[in-house]
Amino acid sequence: MSVVHVKNLKKDYQKHEVIKGLDFELMDKKCIALLGANGAGKTTTLQMLSGLIRPTSGEITFSGSRNGDDFRHLIGFLPQHPVFYDWMTGREFLEYAGKLSGLSKKDSKIRAQELLKLVGIEEAKNRRIGKYSGGMKQRLGIAQAIIHRPKLVILDEPVSALDPFGRREVLELMGSLKKETAILFSTHILNDAEEVCDEILFLHNGRLVESGTMEQLRDKHQQAKIDLEFKEDAAQYAGLFTDVVKVQSQTIKSNKISFFVEDIELAKIGLLKVIAERNLPLVKFEISRTSLEEVFMRVVEK
Amino acid sequence: MNQWLTLLNKEILEMTRNFKWIWVPIVFILIAVMEPITAYYMPQIIDSLGNLPDGAVIELPMPSAEEVLVASLSQYNTLGLLVIILSSMGIIAGERKTGVAGLILVKPVSYTAFVTAKWAGDMLLLWISYFIGYFVSWYYVGILFDTIPFIDFIQSFFIYGLWLSFVLTITVFFNSFLKSPGAAGFLSFAAVIILIVISGTFSKWVEWSPAQLLSYASTFIMSGSNSSDVWSAIILSVFGIIMLLGGSIVIFRRRELA
Repeated sequence: MSVVHVKNLKKDYQKHEVIKGLDFELMDKKCIALLGANGAGKTTTLQMLSGLIRPTSGEITFSGSRNGDDFRHLIGFLPQHPVFYDWMTGREFLEYAGKLSGLSKKDSKIRAQELLKLVGIEEAKNRRIGKYSGGMKQRLGIAQAIIHRPKLVILDEPVSALDPFGRREVLELMGSLKKETAILFSTHILNDAEEVCDEILFLHNGRLVESGTMEQLRDKHQQAKIDLEFKEDAAQYAGLFTDVVKVQSQTIKSNKISFFVEDIELAKIGLLKVIAERNLPLVKFEISRTSLEEVFMRVVEK
Repeated sequence: MNQWLTLLNKEILEMTRNFKWIWVPIVFILIAVMEPITAYYMPQIIDSLGNLPDGAVIELPMPSAEEVLVASLSQYNTLGLLVIILSSMGIIAGERKTGVAGLILVKPVSYTAFVTAKWAGDMLLLWISYFIGYFVSWYYVGILFDTIPFIDFIQSFFIYGLWLSFVLTITVFFNSFLKSPGAAGFLSFAAVIILIVISGTFSKWVEWSPAQLLSYASTFIMSGSNSSDVWSAIILSVFGIIMLLGGSIVIFRRRELA
């Protein structure tokens, strides 16, 4: 089931086009990553989806409501740098957020208690938020975003500011959250996206340059790669392999040759045969796949 | 309504946590009470300062009780206004500047409720502080000078309080579209000073100006009655407050919060 449908979304700032027309659809109970370099338009897109800024043109339609309706009760939002009332305690803030989202006083109390436990800041619930660390604020931010069980949770760079432990925990939290709602989050760290995401949207210069599930992207862009490393300069051996493997492309860097091939099994046998016959001074033989990082670079360079 | 009360409760709690409930009333008391006390002890104060040639006699006519109470109100028209503007100049702009307003307003919070609850919170603080301060001044005038009828005190209290509310609403208005508390405070102050100067200079033509409420409140204290012009000023002030508040909501709703 689709949660939100975005059609030809555009945003200008003083005649400068930041978002140049986005079309996508988010599905229920899926985690979608919005990837892109700094300045690609990730935050602007998320802020439009959360209603904080208005699109210059285009439509954002949530299922069950029409374009232009107030959809704020359907979403939960965590900004990139969440700021709270420093004089409130964590528990007070969550209860306040719950009541503002339409929960009764009793329900917000129960829900706040639940979430404090879920995000792991229960022991700090009666401390002033001003005394919280960055990681604790991030967790509190996630808790306030999901307190009213929204259909879509929007997280702007939820893990970028965290240390490795915090990142781990927040990613796991997102994994379990996915069972209840759709999650859209932005990041420029591909590993994070790879870990919890079902789908990826690549944003570059305000345009969607690539999108799809992880598998689709892998199939489309990933290539098998074989690296050979020799004792001496590799260029002299390059000619020996041209007949045996169907090479799509190759790169030579001092002692190393990398072959991008179609059929990895055939290539492996062919290469090793030549190496054994000629007794070449091989020091390393490695089979790998292009990482998402490389896919990302390639997509962006297009 | 529920949501509005939640928002108002938060304002009241915030003012408790940052001690506004303590310092604003104290400042209002100090401002008002300065008048009767300095007026009463002026001869002693001058005496203790010395420096007068021997034999010099200064006869200071004792001011009347009414004059002293009016002077208290006049103090509010300078220092009091400053305190009101300073304590409320970040009411919305401050939250927008830090970004917490964005966090709150992505929740299904009505913009009308958001603005009016903040306004109501500060109005509550203003009226309570103003009442305590003015009441203490009236009490001291009663002890040190002469008792002024309570009904005159209350009537002048409400008439002049309307002007203070008008000033507070101006500050809220500038807060609806400015992101910097300093700018909002400065513009509010400029607007209020312009209003006072115009009303003072052309008082004959602008009898309906909210800034005239001070002189109407003073006449009430001095004579216990008033011209019918007071009503035009009262009605215009109430109307002005409603318009400014309505305008704030409309403007605030159109602002992008990020």
